[in-house]
Amino acid sequence: MGPLIPNDLIPLEWNNIIAILIGIAFGFVLEASGFSSSRKLAGVFYGYDFAVLKVFFTAAIVSVIGLYYMDYLGYLDITQLYVHPTYLWAAIIGGAIMGVGFVAGGFCPGTSLCAVAIGKLDAWVYVLGILVGIFIFSELFDFIEPIFDGYNFGNITLIDTFEWDPYWFIFIFAIVAIIAFAVADFVQKKVKKVFY
Amino acid sequence: MANKNKSKFSGLQYKFLAIILLILAGGLVALPKYEKNEGIKPVQLLANVINPARYISTDEIAHKIISQDRSFILIDVRDEESYNKYTLPNAVHIPLKKILDEEFSMYVNQNQYDVIFFSNDNFYSDQAWVLCNRLGYKNQRVLKGGINMWFKTIINPPKPSENMPEEAFNLYSTRKASSMYFGVVYPEQVKAPEPVKKVAPKQIITVKKVKKAPEGGC
Repeated sequence: MGPLIPNDLIPLEWNNIIAILIGIAFGFVLEASGFSSSRKLAGVFYGYDFAVLKVFFTAAIVSVIGLYYMDYLGYLDITQLYVHPTYLWAAIIGGAIMGVGFVAGGFCPGTSLCAVAIGKLDAWVYVLGILVGIFIFSELFDFIEPIFDGYNFGNITLIDTFEWDPYWFIFIFAIVAIIAFAVADFVQKKVKKVFY
Repeated sequence: MANKNKSKFSGLQYKFLAIILLILAGGLVALPKYEKNEGIKPVQLLANVINPARYISTDEIAHKIISQDRSFILIDVRDEESYNKYTLPNAVHIPLKKILDEEFSMYVNQNQYDVIFFSNDNFYSDQAWVLCNRLGYKNQRVLKGGINMWFKTIINPPKPSENMPEEAFNLYSTRKASSMYFGVVYPEQVKAPEPVKKVAPKQIITVKKVKKAPEGGC
């Protein structure tokens, strides 16, 4: 049956409208989880607030469990879902740069826009920085292109690459998540409270 | 005090949620696995198989070819040798064994044209039809009687005897005209200075490849 748009159950033209609606809901949840505060976001690196870890880990697990139940019941064909292609070195280098930006600025691109929406000045500066970064990237694109387009491993997943059983993988992943939450709580109690 | 109670309660709440999460994740492991059917359901396939609406007659095909209808693709599922010997005008050759190959999916799996399978009889073309129908491909038809029926009715139509109704004579004259279009020369025609030997113009069938993969990202 699903996914709905590739199988023509919903016309393609609805794509952008649905995207906007989901985007609004996503922004609302980000803001409601307190992700428009750079101190809260950076807390995961200093150990006084693990909300980021908890929210994103929970979101990933809940959705993957839901998707696989829907796949099992025949409401969704999991093989039709879009898998983002792996550009190995681009991902590693980009991830490192993004990580530095995350610690230093206290936002990721999505949450920075969320914070701009509620009027945070640091977020305005951060978004300006993103735009400057995009400009530099575009100017240097010819130079960067071999890395940007190279090392393409295609639309691979862990399950395909290592031939794991997805159901066991999800189960173990859920256990790891809960252990991570418990450890995060433990660390949070040990670390000196920070008022923010 | 109230605050402490509240935190204790919320701690319990999180444990409860964690247990639900684990049960749901474990449920995936514990569920009995089954082989998933590709394409349409068996019941639907059976209903399609016993439905004779998939057949198209040789007269209809002859009419379509002569009127240069471009809404269909003829697919010859016989082997290479038979295909080289004789085939219908503009037929695409896809042997039955290769019908589901990736390189031919642009012909059989598309929504632009009707796909008409044919073989010597409709035995192999029916098999090709079932294979494609099971995968949910659209607009699949089968030429009733195949090439044999084509010869019997269009290329070499039986002359009606005198006691037959008028329709039989009309049908005969239509078929005879069709056979002339496909290059058959009749004795009474030979006197004419030049028998009109007209070959159906070769039409080039271009099929747009349907993009399937949904695009997205973070």
